[in-house]
Amino acid sequence: MTAPICNRCVLPHAPPDIHLDAEGVCNICRNFEREEAACAAEDRGLLETDFLKILDKHRGKQEYDCLCMLSGGKDSTAALYYVKEKYKLNPLVFTFNQGFVPEEHLESARKTIDKLKVDWIYFQTPFMKDMFRKIVQTKSKVVICGICSLWYMQKTYEIAAQFKVPIIISGWTKGQTTGSSRSVLSKCACDQNPDEFKAMTAATKEFMEKHVKTDPKYRDFPMNMADVMHIAKTKYNSKAVVLSPHWFVPGGPEEYVPVIQEKLGWDYPERSYPKKSTNCDLNFVASKLAVKNFGYSHYHIEMSNMIRLGVVTREEALEHLKMDYGEEILGDILQKLDSRGMV
Amino acid sequence: MYVLGLSCYYHDSCAVLLKDGVIVAAAQEERFNRDKYSPVFPIQAVNYCFQEAGITIYDVDEVAFYEKMFLKFERSMLSHIAGYPFTLKNFVQTLPLWLKERLAVPYYVEEELRFKKPLWFVKHHLSHASSGYFASPFPRAAFLTVDGVGEYACASWGVAEGNAVTMRKELHYPHSLGLLYSIVTAYLGYRLFAGEGKVMALAELGQDTYASQFRTLVDIREDGSFRLNLDYFAFNRGDKMHNRKFEALFGPAREENAELTDRHRDIACSLQRLTEEVLLKMARHVHAQTGEDFLCLAGGVFLNVTANSRIRNETPFKDICIQPASGDAGGAYGAAAYVSHTILDVPRAPALRSCALGGQHTTRQVEVVLRNKRTKYQTIPRENVAAEVADRLAAGKVVGWFQGRMEFGPRALGNRSILAHPGDAAVKERLNLVIKHREPYRPFAASVLREHVEEWFDGIHESPFMLEVGHLKADKQGRIPAVTHANQTSRIQTVTREDNGVYYDLIAAFHERTGLPMVLNTSFNEDEPIVRTPAEALKCYEDSGMDCLVMENLIVER
Repeated sequence: MTAPICNRCVLPHAPPDIHLDAEGVCNICRNFEREEAACAAEDRGLLETDFLKILDKHRGKQEYDCLCMLSGGKDSTAALYYVKEKYKLNPLVFTFNQGFVPEEHLESARKTIDKLKVDWIYFQTPFMKDMFRKIVQTKSKVVICGICSLWYMQKTYEIAAQFKVPIIISGWTKGQTTGSSRSVLSKCACDQNPDEFKAMTAATKEFMEKHVKTDPKYRDFPMNMADVMHIAKTKYNSKAVVLSPHWFVPGGPEEYVPVIQEKLGWDYPERSYPKKSTNCDLNFVASKLAVKNFGYSHYHIEMSNMIRLGVVTREEALEHLKMDYGEEILGDILQKLDSRGMV
Repeated sequence: MYVLGLSCYYHDSCAVLLKDGVIVAAAQEERFNRDKYSPVFPIQAVNYCFQEAGITIYDVDEVAFYEKMFLKFERSMLSHIAGYPFTLKNFVQTLPLWLKERLAVPYYVEEELRFKKPLWFVKHHLSHASSGYFASPFPRAAFLTVDGVGEYACASWGVAEGNAVTMRKELHYPHSLGLLYSIVTAYLGYRLFAGEGKVMALAELGQDTYASQFRTLVDIREDGSFRLNLDYFAFNRGDKMHNRKFEALFGPAREENAELTDRHRDIACSLQRLTEEVLLKMARHVHAQTGEDFLCLAGGVFLNVTANSRIRNETPFKDICIQPASGDAGGAYGAAAYVSHTILDVPRAPALRSCALGGQHTTRQVEVVLRNKRTKYQTIPRENVAAEVADRLAAGKVVGWFQGRMEFGPRALGNRSILAHPGDAAVKERLNLVIKHREPYRPFAASVLREHVEEWFDGIHESPFMLEVGHLKADKQGRIPAVTHANQTSRIQTVTREDNGVYYDLIAAFHERTGLPMVLNTSFNEDEPIVRTPAEALKCYEDSGMDCLVMENLIVER
């Protein structure tokens, strides 16, 4: 029997972190409602001029004004496009491939780089493959994307430090930030441990303690995002802040996808999960496992935020999150991890 | 060339963006921060303007501010010194505002917007004059501006031709018609900025029995200039601007929400008649001095629709023009227009025909709100919207109407409006008491098909921004009680297909069904700024007694 889903967002009843009340509304939606009511008067939200204020503090002080993380997907491509063309910064671009980014996405990134004529660092490594394999084969509950993000954020900070870049630009959507606009601005980062992530964070901790900390290959691997930030500060002396232009302008993909389609010839990839995204192939596995282990994935959290913020409808979110892709895709990806049939 | 115009720190803070002299976007901050008449730096309105134009501050060539702050500060300080020691309390209260905000405009523009070039500061009444003239279709015209107070000027007149706007005369503080109206408004128990319109409506229910008392207060000359008798006022001395002597003359002040008596109605009436007399004299004097055929009017006082109509009908000018945001919000436009055209010589733009200069929401964005709020709605083909809504209006339903871009200025002109049957006498009471929660005596305006306005009303032929009244013709009396005031006048917005096709089609469809070429139109709000977003419209609909909400081509019904 599947758990009931919040009738406002797409999160399921998954105690103790997520629970539905008598009206079928989850605690995350209720918290949002309360915060919105409390903030309504004084919180003007994040404005594009706030973003420009931050950019202007650092503009022109180094060879590159910012480091843009580019996956080739719509969100990071639009972020890079705006940074270069609208905000008139000189970005250095960084693409990370842990071995599972489809060629189609990389080609899209290459095309964007060529059109915008920006400097690009492409980093590909099989370094994490053993870790991914272990996650699947040990049936750990850890979310693959969470672990992967620790590594790519560490690399991002490392490059930012190397080039003395003060700002890291991501394509993170409004759904990928949490907390009030003031807190996002003051910390230039998201709340790293909201209720909806608690179970996933605990699973990460357990996996890291058990399998990563003890493995000499991953001796220097960060244990969590706080660790990433700490290493960035202490080892790389990087004070770079991470921001996404999407947090500061109204609307969402409906507004910026047509722009990058027209200006950069960008298009949706043939296959990706969730629908209308450009995520690496591991997402098929990661999301499937997350839903199996927790009842929801990190994309359910993102989409739920997008619903609360009025960017998408609940129906659209449910449609995007449908796991109606063939077993063949899953099998091919698991094959690469020598784990066919293990999910 | 982009020029950004700003007004703020008193009331109606606003941002207007011009591209090559044409308005790309204009909005008041109150619509974003939901604080009516908000005085704060219009940061959200600026962000909206940039997003509408698809630019950032880096693309902006000039920024214009709607007044000269140091000149205003000088006037304020001199006024406080003149009234010392009675003005001390007020001085202590307002000085921090001056130091932290009003004198720090360049700092805020640089800090908030990252605009690093020097700003243009255009005198308050020159901003008003420019807003009136550059929005008009006239190649040359006289102008008249009247408001509370700018730097020193409370009224001005002059001439404009081509790109030049030349001030000829100013009437200085404290001799201000706008201030007088506001003082009496406060005396009658209404709030400033919100109450002047109520006093204007109240005036038509009273008799002009206080004319002689007002003559004691105001010495009017033939040229329309006048002097206030300062013995009756208490400028800068506290919360009230009238004194005990004033109350001795007119009786005790009315407390807010206290019962209205004939005395209050008569005072309002005499104030209104005096205002009309002064404005008529001013306008006639301007005509005599300039010999111009056309007159542009600007400044908050020209939100007074009765006076506007009298100027149109009782002065020798062939035509007059009043832009939709004639108050301080329009000053932001005027400052930007003055810098664009007069200083930078950008050719004049076509006349302003529509005030739909604010943000728009797509059907999809509306749909996201309705679906996520689990609101049942019906999608109807675009071409059927007019007929469907006209059916409902004809059946006596009150409709929330949310279409296209938000209006600039204080009036809802068919994009963020509540609409109803003008022939339904009961609807006025229902709207005032149940939906808008406002005074029962206040009349509602009518949006009338332009080609039918002269069939129904005298003294009006075009009023696209709802800034004039018409006298209901004798043979039509009693047919549109919901939009007819006690004196058989109606506040009119004339509508053409060219200026607002969707709204025009709706009124035309209503006309077909009822024989009435008009609908009742009141702003889409309930004691708050006019709604801006679909979510605000939905909330206002849910909280009020409206029967139906139409957003783009989606209909929500109870």
